[in-house]
Parts: sequence; C-alpha cells; structure tokens
Amino acid sequence: MPSGTADEDEPLSAYKARLHNQNTTKPLIEQVSNQWKEKDSDTEKVPYYAEDDTRELGFCDLEDDGSCPNVSRDIVSSRRFRRMFAVTLLAALLLYYAWKHLVAPPLEEDWAYKEGFVAQENGTYGIAKGGRDIDPDLVRLQDLDKRLLPGGEADVEGKRRLVFVGDVHGCKEELVKLLKEVEFDENSDHLVLVGDVISKGPDNVGVLDELIRLNASSVRGNHEDRILQVARSAHNTLSSTSSKGHAKDLALLKQLKPRHIEYLRSMPLMLHIPSLPQAAKPTHKKDSPISEHILVVHAGVVPGVPFSKQDPYYIMNMRSINRRTHVPSALHASSKNEKPWFDVWGWYNDRIFRKQSLKHFNHALQPTDYEAEEDNRAWTSLWKNFWGERHARPKPQVVIYGHDSKTGLQIHRWSKGLDSACVGGGKLTALVLNAKGKWETKSVGCKNYRG
Amino acid sequence: MADFESVRTRLETSYVNPEEDHPYKYFHESTFHPHYDGRFGDRILKYDEQQAHLKALIQTYLSTMNSIGAETWLMHGTLLGWYWNRKVMPWDSDLDVMVSEKSLHFLASYHNMTMHSFKLPGQKRTRTYLLEINPNYREGEVDEENRIDARWIDTEIGLFIDITTLRRNRSADDEEAMMVKDKHHYMLDDIYPLRDSTFEGIPVWIPYAYPDILSEEYGQEALSGTNHEHHRFDAERQTWIPQKILDSKFDGDDG
Repeated sequence: MPSGTADEDEPLSAYKARLHNQNTTKPLIEQVSNQWKEKDSDTEKVPYYAEDDTRELGFCDLEDDGSCPNVSRDIVSSRRFRRMFAVTLLAALLLYYAWKHLVAPPLEEDWAYKEGFVAQENGTYGIAKGGRDIDPDLVRLQDLDKRLLPGGEADVEGKRRLVFVGDVHGCKEELVKLLKEVEFDENSDHLVLVGDVISKGPDNVGVLDELIRLNASSVRGNHEDRILQVARSAHNTLSSTSSKGHAKDLALLKQLKPRHIEYLRSMPLMLHIPSLPQAAKPTHKKDSPISEHILVVHAGVVPGVPFSKQDPYYIMNMRSINRRTHVPSALHASSKNEKPWFDVWGWYNDRIFRKQSLKHFNHALQPTDYEAEEDNRAWTSLWKNFWGERHARPKPQVVIYGHDSKTGLQIHRWSKGLDSACVGGGKLTALVLNAKGKWETKSVGCKNYRG
Repeated sequence: MADFESVRTRLETSYVNPEEDHPYKYFHESTFHPHYDGRFGDRILKYDEQQAHLKALIQTYLSTMNSIGAETWLMHGTLLGWYWNRKVMPWDSDLDVMVSEKSLHFLASYHNMTMHSFKLPGQKRTRTYLLEINPNYREGEVDEENRIDARWIDTEIGLFIDITTLRRNRSADDEEAMMVKDKHHYMLDDIYPLRDSTFEGIPVWIPYAYPDILSEEYGQEALSGTNHEHHRFDAERQTWIPQKILDSKFDGDDG
C-alpha cells in the first residue's frame, strides 16, 4: 500500500498523526494519491446517451447548458446583443432601401436603354426595307458647304456664325424680327432652318422668297414633304381627298412658283455639319460648347441605325422611340418603354462621350463617323494590329431639330429642339453658333395665327 | 356572287355553299378554304404554288388598275409585306388593297364582270382574272356580310384579292374621319397624299403615314421583329426564309 493513502481500518486520530509526520518529512506532491486511476468505473464505458439517433438532439437539449436554445436565450437576454442586433437590422434596412431607391433604378434604367442597342433574337428597327427608297426626289444627306463652316478653311479668323431657326410655318414677320434680334449679317452668317418653313402661317411664299434670297439651308419637314407628295399625285382625278389639310395644301401649291417647288425639293432629309475646327473643349454639361459634328433633321433620328437605313417618314415625324425595339412613333411617349426620342439619343451619345464600353452594341458607324480616323489611318492600323480588332468608335453628335411645339424648347447636351410654337402664338427661337462652338438661344414673340 | 354556270372555267362542280351563309352576303368562301373562290378552285395550293399565284395575282391587279386609272393602294398584311421587302409575305394566302369611293364607282360603272387575260413570263398558258363588284357597294354603312366591295379573282385556281373602299365616316362629327365597312377607321391625312413605290416589281401607291398605320394595326414589333409565322427575315438577302429550311441547313452544317 502506498504511503499517504487512507486505510479504512485506521482510526482517525492515528491517521491525523501519521499525516502530520509525513507532512513534515515529504514534499506535498507525494501525497497525491491518484486514486481515481485505479477505480475501474463501469459508468465510463456507458455512453452518456444511448447510441441512437437522439444524439443530435444534444444541440437543442434544454437540460444542457451549452445547447442552442439555452445559449440563444442567454445571448438574447444580453443587453449588448440586443443593441447590436437592432443596429445591424437598421443598417441592413438602410442598405436595402438605398439599393432599391437609389442604386437599382439608374442601373435598371441603364440596362433597359442598353437592351435596345445590343443584338436581339427577334431583330430590331432598321432591318426591314421600310420607306428608305420611297421618294426618288429626296436628297437624303447633304454636307454643309465647306465655305460656310465657322472657323473652316475659308474662315481662318473664325468670324462666321451659323444661325439655326425653329419651325417658321410661314411667319415671315417674326422671321425678319428674329434675324434682326440676332444681328444677322448676310456676309458672315449662314441661316439653317429645321424644316416646316411653310403651311399654317400667313405668308408662306414670302418666307420661301426670303430664304431663297438669303441662300439659307433647310431640311425637309413633314409639311414640305406633304406638299411635295401632293404635287406628285395631284393629277389623279379619282382620288377622294376632301380633307381640310389637303384643300389648304392644294391652295398653297397653286401659289407656288417653280422656283419655290425647286427650293422645297432641294431640301435634304438630313444636313450634316462637320465638327468646328476651332471649337473649345467640350464638357458633359448641357451648356458645353458644341465641338462635335452636328446633324440637322426635322423631327429626330434613331440612334445606332445607319443614315442609309433610317426611314424618312420617321426622320420627319418621330416624337418618341421604344427603347427596347427602337421603333419610333409619331406620337408622344405614352408607355414605360416609350421614351422621347432625344432621351434615347442622349443616353447613347453620353455613353460614347464618356468612352464607356460599346461591347455587343449593334455596329452602326455612320460614314461621317470615320472623318477623324482618316487622318490617323496609320494609327488605326497599328491599333488594330495590336489589339486584333478595329477600335473605331462612333463619335458623339449633336442633333438640332424642330417639329415638337407641344414639348417646346428642349435644350439637352446632345439635342437642341428649337420649335417653340411660333405659329400658335408662342415664340420663334434661334440658336446662334460661333466658330468657338459657343452658342446661345434667342427668341421673339409671335402673333397667334391659329386662333 | 355571279352564279357558277355563267362564270365557270375548268370545274364541273362548284365548291361553294351559299346556303350556309347569311342570306344577304354576296361573296362566298369556298368549302375548303376561306381564301379561295369555290367557283374556280377545288384545292389548297402548295406553299410554292400559292406564292407564285399570289405574286401574279397582285401584279396583274396593279397593272390593270394602273392602266385603267383607278386609284388603289396596299393595306393590311399586303402593306406589311411591302414594308419589309416590297413582296407578298410567303405565309399569306390573301391580299388586301383599298380603293377610293370614286374609284369604286368608276369600276362598278365600267368594269364590273370584266375578264383580263395575261401572258405571264415563264407561263405557257394565259391566265384570266375576273373583276367582280359587290352590288351592295352603294350602301355606306358598316356591313359585316358585305365588307368586301369587290374581288379580283384568279379564274384558274380561285385565289383572290379583297378590295375594300375608304369611305367618309358619316356617323363621326369629324369630316376627316374615314371608315371601311370592316369597321377599320382611318384619318384621311394618314392615307393621303398617296406615295408612289413598287410592289412585286409593279408601280403602286402606298398610304402617306404607312408606318403609323402598320404599327397601329399590328403593333410596333411588326416593324422590327424578324420572326413571323415560322419564317425568319434574312437581312442581307432581304427575304423571308421558312424556319424549316433554316433548321435543315443547321442540321446539315452539324452533320
């Protein structure tokens, strides 16, 4: 028997005495008996739980202090935890609302716009032949005469200006007043009209004579188009055309001399103005100088569709575009996917301007988009060889148009809508552009000729 | 409808059952297909045959109207075919044109029940077409039974063109509201001034606001969608290709 172990038969006093003796002679460590090692306990062999599937219950066992419900109760009852929980919940909610109301909508908008530009399984606008070739007399695209370009080769000093004027509709008095207001100089300024110079107003012939005299450029508007179509089909005696508009068109047609018809016929569908060589640096703001090339049309253009595939009818009549299919409409936007055409146009040009990716976009480079590339052809081919693809990007473009008197003056970064409802008693508006690309709008009041 | 005995060409019996229709209905459809005239046709043509006959049908109609000076223009599905590639859409089995009120009166007065024979390129036999006017053409009200004012009929196989008239809508206050007996409504300025173009190679008139008319009738997708009626539009070849052919091509490339 090892020393220091209690003998059951030994009386307590003797044991105490023996202990005392031992304590004085041996280090304490030797008194450790380690009796438990010798005990051959049965209970250790029996598992705490019977070996069946109830073992997993341990986690949820209420008897066990470490089980989930008990731990949870402890945690939940802790004040610190409650505070932390509330803060986390609040943060999550805030994040959710920030996502839902601030981050997601512009992203979704962006996606919705983008969808219209990437190739779609069921096609997109511009594939059908449509009205592309409908009028053999129509000049589709004309470049502004180089000699008229502010800051161009013929204007090294940059004295020339371009004066763009909204829908005149036969309001000659107002046109003359407006030209006076912008101090129009016949020698150094060039007048550009956005179409609808005739119909509705008091002096159509007077307006045409004035424009011919000033050698002004105009694009074809829906009213010029209508009168020219009437001229083509007027010989048919079996027509049943009794509309008031048609009667007015016929009456106007009778007043027009061959030189007027010729002038109307010479109006192109689109007038292209190359970028101004002396223009100041552009910004993304809507009052930025116009240093990009300009397209003048009567109503609007479908972005991403080559000029040759644009339907003339919509160039002269569109007001909205379905952002998914890019099919235009002559009506104002009325559903979620229909947008004012200039919104879609603006989105596209913003993206080009900000040099954002156009990957997967339908490639619709316009012939005029290549003008800059021609100078750097060597560069382009180097680029091409290096990256294995052509990095020609469309260039941003500003559209100047009219047609939409109901919406009125619309000045955005990539589109300038100048129809401010002159013939209905609104204003006649001019946008004056100088060689630096700086521009301003000026208006004069009009009499109401429709009332 | 003119009776079978007086207009019959090659058929021994008529494939028309007028007793089954409304008593006042003038034009009847054949017993085997609504787009065939049962006095002249006895079967539905195959895809290619039908396409060739429809093309000849519109070509002969347009050149006849051009030469007699009646004002007519394309409408509905035929206008949509023009919009896509200036051709009849291959899945169509009927054609739609419209005439002015004056033109209809002119046709009824001078050209009713006239036969027009054509020797078409690539065809051995001459084909004869019949212009038949519905005697109810003078009545201007909406009339479901007699919505078709006239028909241009291929007397060999019975295919025909439905001719409807653009009329003043007398029930509308607006003088410029127009109607057709099939209840379609148009504004006069959407139709006039007509534009000239070509269809299947023949000069034709087109309504002024053609894309607005089409997107109103068929939805905007009709102007952009390249999948229609098991056909896909090939942008480069400017033609509708049946899905069957596209599928078989695909299989061929695969194997």
